[in-house]
Amino acid sequence: MTPISRDSNNIIAAKASKGSAELSRRRWLELMGASFALAGLTGCRWPREEIVPAVKGTGRVPGQALKYATSRELAGGALGLLVTSVDGRPIKIEGNPAHPASLGGTDAWAQAAILELYDPDRNTGVLQRVPPVVERRSWEAFIEAWGRELQSLVQHQGEGLRVLCEWRSSPTLLRLKRLFEKQFPQGRWIFYDPLFNHAERKAIEEFLGGTYRMQYRLEEADLIVTLDADLLADPPTGVVMARQFAARRDPEAGPMNRLYAVESALTLTGANADHRLPLPSSKVADLVVLLEAAISRGLSGEAQAGKPAAPSQPGDGQAASSAEGAEENESLRFLSAMADDLISHAGRSVVVAGRTQPAEVHKAVLRINALLGNLGKTVVLSGELAPDDLPSETGLKQLCAEMAQGMVGALFILGGNPVYTSPPELDLGTLVSKVPFSVHLGLYRDETSEVCTWHLPESHFLESWGDGRAWDGTYGVMQPLIEPLFSGRSILELVALLVQGAFQTRSGGAIPSGYDLVRETFSELIQVPQEDPAFTARWQAVLHEGYLAGSAFSTKAVTPKEAVLPPDESLVARVRQRLSEPLDSAAPELVFWPDRKVYDGRFANSGWLQELPDPITRLTWDNALIMSPGTAARLGVEHEEIAELELAGKRVTVPVFLLEGQADGSLALSLGYGRTAAGRVGGLSREGIPPVGVSARAIWPQDGKGFVHPVTVRPTGSRYLLASTEEHQQIDAVGQWGRQERLDRLVREGTLEKFEKQPDFAKHAVHHPPLKSLWPEHEYPTNRWGMSVDLSKCVGCGACVVACQAENNIPIVGRERVLWNREMHWIRVDRYFRGKGLGGGVSFQPVMCQQCENAPCEQVCPVGATVHSHEGLNDMVYNRCVGTRYCSNNCPYKVRRFNYFWYHPDLDDPAQSVKKMVFNPEVTIRTRGVMEKCTYCVQRIQAAKIAAKNARVIGQIERARELLADGAIQTACQQACPARAIEFGDLSNPGSRVSVAQGSPRAYALLGELNVKPRTIYLAKIRNPNPRLQVPGNS
Amino acid sequence: MSLRAPTIPLEQAGGIAIEEPYDPRRRPPVVAGPFDAARVTECVSRITEVPRTPLGWYIAFVISGALTVVFFACSVYLFVKGIGVWGNNIPVGWAFPIVNFVFWIGIGHAGTLISAILFLLRQGWRTSINRFAEAMTIFAVMCAGLFPVVHLGRVWFVYWLLPYPNQMLVWPQFRSPLLWDVFAVTAYFVTSLLFWYLGMIPDLATLRDRATTPARRLVYGLFALGWTGSARHWHWYESAYLFLAALATPLVVSVHSVVSFDFAVSIVPGWHATIFPPYFVAGAIFSGFAMVITLLVPARAYFGLKELVTIRHLDNMNKIILATSWMVGYAYVIELFVAWYSGNATEWFTFMNRMFGPYAAAYWVMVVCNVLLPQAFWFRKCRTTPAIMWPIAVLINLGMWLERYVIIIVSLSRDYLPSSWGMYYPTWVDLAMLAGSFGLFFSLFLLFCRWLPMVAMAELKALLALRGELLPPHETDVRQQTAAP
Repeated sequence: MTPISRDSNNIIAAKASKGSAELSRRRWLELMGASFALAGLTGCRWPREEIVPAVKGTGRVPGQALKYATSRELAGGALGLLVTSVDGRPIKIEGNPAHPASLGGTDAWAQAAILELYDPDRNTGVLQRVPPVVERRSWEAFIEAWGRELQSLVQHQGEGLRVLCEWRSSPTLLRLKRLFEKQFPQGRWIFYDPLFNHAERKAIEEFLGGTYRMQYRLEEADLIVTLDADLLADPPTGVVMARQFAARRDPEAGPMNRLYAVESALTLTGANADHRLPLPSSKVADLVVLLEAAISRGLSGEAQAGKPAAPSQPGDGQAASSAEGAEENESLRFLSAMADDLISHAGRSVVVAGRTQPAEVHKAVLRINALLGNLGKTVVLSGELAPDDLPSETGLKQLCAEMAQGMVGALFILGGNPVYTSPPELDLGTLVSKVPFSVHLGLYRDETSEVCTWHLPESHFLESWGDGRAWDGTYGVMQPLIEPLFSGRSILELVALLVQGAFQTRSGGAIPSGYDLVRETFSELIQVPQEDPAFTARWQAVLHEGYLAGSAFSTKAVTPKEAVLPPDESLVARVRQRLSEPLDSAAPELVFWPDRKVYDGRFANSGWLQELPDPITRLTWDNALIMSPGTAARLGVEHEEIAELELAGKRVTVPVFLLEGQADGSLALSLGYGRTAAGRVGGLSREGIPPVGVSARAIWPQDGKGFVHPVTVRPTGSRYLLASTEEHQQIDAVGQWGRQERLDRLVREGTLEKFEKQPDFAKHAVHHPPLKSLWPEHEYPTNRWGMSVDLSKCVGCGACVVACQAENNIPIVGRERVLWNREMHWIRVDRYFRGKGLGGGVSFQPVMCQQCENAPCEQVCPVGATVHSHEGLNDMVYNRCVGTRYCSNNCPYKVRRFNYFWYHPDLDDPAQSVKKMVFNPEVTIRTRGVMEKCTYCVQRIQAAKIAAKNARVIGQIERARELLADGAIQTACQQACPARAIEFGDLSNPGSRVSVAQGSPRAYALLGELNVKPRTIYLAKIRNPNPRLQVPGNS
Repeated sequence: MSLRAPTIPLEQAGGIAIEEPYDPRRRPPVVAGPFDAARVTECVSRITEVPRTPLGWYIAFVISGALTVVFFACSVYLFVKGIGVWGNNIPVGWAFPIVNFVFWIGIGHAGTLISAILFLLRQGWRTSINRFAEAMTIFAVMCAGLFPVVHLGRVWFVYWLLPYPNQMLVWPQFRSPLLWDVFAVTAYFVTSLLFWYLGMIPDLATLRDRATTPARRLVYGLFALGWTGSARHWHWYESAYLFLAALATPLVVSVHSVVSFDFAVSIVPGWHATIFPPYFVAGAIFSGFAMVITLLVPARAYFGLKELVTIRHLDNMNKIILATSWMVGYAYVIELFVAWYSGNATEWFTFMNRMFGPYAAAYWVMVVCNVLLPQAFWFRKCRTTPAIMWPIAVLINLGMWLERYVIIIVSLSRDYLPSSWGMYYPTWVDLAMLAGSFGLFFSLFLLFCRWLPMVAMAELKALLALRGELLPPHETDVRQQTAAP
């Protein structure tokens, strides 16, 4: 059961691959022992299995970081990862550059998984609820109890046996599911995902007459239209969508795409859009009707005229129709321009509808894509899992009905937390608690565990064997990097236990391990029997690469089942009238979004994610009722006032957050907060720890719809401070003026047109006299490290922030201290709103230490604790720091962070000692009273240099610099960035990617006029607006 | 026990009226004579010699002593928990403690200015108040010196700021203004302390000679360093005093200039200004004199020193306050003008933010206290009426504290990148330590009033003799006899 390292010099991989063609289980155990001999040194526990002591000369260097490929599954799609492990302890997660769902990038969730692994709040053992107490049991006790149940279940063909399983794409799990169905014909297996896009699936089925998976090819799209969809952020495709989107945002690399967003809440996608129309979610359907009509009319007019429509010329069919009297209406003007643009980009555009929208909208969008000829080009339909293997829309409801009738005798809830995520009307908790034998397998003892008779600890994906499919269908293997810390078992192992009867025919009749199960699946998949010598090589390869190339779902040529009908003119007229009427703000709609940090609540106990500022609101440690200032005025509520939401008699009180860009008459509330059994971070009522944020569940309607309309909002008069890391737009008039006035100098941006006219416009945003240095300039005989950040590519997701936190052992500080402006992030993604009422769009700017050549911090430190290195880094010497904080005052970028308290008190608590394992051993834990800041990941630079020097010493290479090739050293933020916005490298090498980026005409130094000579250079953001839609702020 | 300290009823002895019609041709004498040497001695020494400490002193001392305890208790809490017990944050890395530091350093300016510069300029009137002002300086600098120390994140490494040979082979970074501060403040404190002590030696000898108990004789004798009043002693004393006055004079200017470098040398908008050294020195003198008035008005009344510290002294000090108020006001205007005239948008925003931002109230209170209120001193009535000048002086102290608040905290709260702007709010520890520093200051000051000669007796006698205002001994005797009922 040895994981396979990426490093060629890893002795275990080498031994394994040169071993006999058939590797015995015994041999695997030996090798595993070798890999864990060092893991034991961490002192937390000893592996129970046979250990082959690591002796000198095995080639294993203690402390050397090794990388293993694995994958993580979220929302039914696997993300390929490379995990760094030091002495048997995984410490850092990175994207697998070759994996099609990652391409090297990750989301913040993947970055935070390492903290989840070492979370001391995870359930540490098997628990049995024997009312009124919960007793600790062993796995053996559970197996025995299950054995008794099993006998009667087998006799009755599984009658009354139900499995409610979190939806996973794992082929092994699906294989086991079939075994289950065979063994228990009367039993039923239900896949459940509260956030699955059922509407889209239904629309595809109705429109195309089959089950297909829709995939977008943004790299081939010149025009993207999103309708209430957070295309760039929503899992499982957010990472790859961001990459494909950003690849077309570099005006120097090729033609740029253009993004239109129509949405109620300001999403990450909307924030990156060239044009954004704030429109209540309930009006999107109307807009889509008009869009479809405009496009079909436009296309037919075009066909008649026999020439392509010219989008910039008013007077074609659409423009004429919009001249019908509502030209002044913003929505209609936007719609008309967007429609014309789509017509002129037919076949090279993508129209996307979001999860909040009903099936009719999805169907209309499919029709639009079909009309435009996008299907098969930019919108690809591929094979999909069998309909039974997808989450069922009605399955949970049925199950509840059965439970209410007492038809369920045994219930297995595998993964997930349905008691929290399901609508309250179902009353799942009460129903489950009445089932005589209920089992919950989960990472945490959560809301669901609390109502089940048995709670079994699930092993983390970094602890267990498994597999999964990326959204495009690519098969990937999950390999463990560490033995389960809390005696957990994987979902595969538990299901194997469930269907143990199916294995009785096997030799020995033993229940196969997760490892065996995955190997069997792989063997079936590649159609090579395990006994075949070729299998071992293929298995080794898939473990090494992390995925199986060429295993993606094949794309299908599709023809619409339904004919595309000409628009119904009377409907169009009615809808047009309706769209031009604003939604009544006094009776607003409420839109539910999966949270960008805690998702559906599963990450609620991750301090890293709780403290990650939301990309848009910059809010930490809370969710809030988001509304536009106009709506708030209409409702009589204020920022940070607690409002009472009422829907059909159910009430929720939630603090209000005012946000420009939220559609008037539309409120947004994110799901995933208000957990009562998340853990000591996210809320744990059994230990008296209050929940973080407010649960939207109470008013989340039963059908799981994305929005409800209307809701009642009442001010309560009481206030609640929201911990936002930026003063948002509700600041005083002078502050607003000051911010807007300097924004064009800080985040320089222009339109594509401006860029083409004057590529180096960004360099002319600030003029200053020649800058002379007061001190002698530094000289760099060797490397000169530098960084560039392409603002055109950055989508603002925040993955870099968590990546930096994981790499550099950055503590979390908690809500109270975020309110005191004491967050510790070394990199932050600044977010600015341009113009009044978001008219100029949103700008993101990641800011980390700029490693100034002429660093103001270095000059003012009285003890020389921050000094310039001979490679141009601004080094921070923690041991020397006495904590005057003068450096931070003098830092114009305010990237320095001070340890106002000792932020690791948990290290002294034996109960939380497992947390120690999360630390990167290459980075010092900073003590109280010292300053810290971004180091350009100096530990990675040093590791690469040491490797290079060693290689030179033993004669492998001639000069150490050979190994320090461009791209050999990547900073954590750079590596995590799904959009590839950050480049790092050696500026003394003119050919390095960072040198090329810094030579771009768009390059500018942030606050360069201060003569601090920053090493980090920003590339100006280029927007690609439609000339027909005026964009204020860019004129 | 009376609330008041025992005094000699001089008015009954036919003394010159304190308030007299103003005649610009004839300036009132330095002291409200008539004095002979014995009366000067008696008047000052009696305060330290009365066997029973007055109740009022006890009340004041208990209050200020309690605040001192608060200061040190808060410091211990701070050392145990960390700097986070204050309201400091990012971007406001320096807050109350540094505001208090600059404030107390500023207070500590008047003493040495009065004793050294006015001495060199032969301003005879300084004699009655110099001891008093110098003591205030010493105590203010002591309070000031504590803040940068407790302000360190790792206070236990404070000695790393000193250039001393060590096995770590590390050396301070001499480009940092904070290091200059260390030297400037230490030098200033040492020089002021020596100057104050040296000037006190003849008076300590007087107290020793008058001592009635062995303990007093021992302690005062020890500190009098064997002074006998011989001509040789006087010769060396005068030379040393002059020398120290010359040494202290540049320090008066340098210490606050260096303190201002902490700000002027940085690149924070609102800090980075060339006007800072003279502006800070003027401000320091301004606040120092205001503090002298604040202390002197009640002390001269309470300890019966109205004849020695006359309205003329107060009048003169108020004139200096008026002059420095104009300097400070000028600096405010010039700062604002330069921010606009430079065309530096960030700088201009900083000033707009000061005036109209979230901390605008602090700015306008500062302007009223520091610029508008002192204009009352154009009127002689205000300059010479303790009941008017005292509240003005107190408000000037408030204004000067707010000036540092505005410069330090308001500038930091909104600098270059709007994303990093952040408000600062003090915690209870911040407020307690500010109050505690006042407690420490007043405790030390009360001890000084009770046990040391508040007025430079020897110097005053010499001055009066020089001016021919000192009565021969027998004349006083006669007057006292005739005045007796």
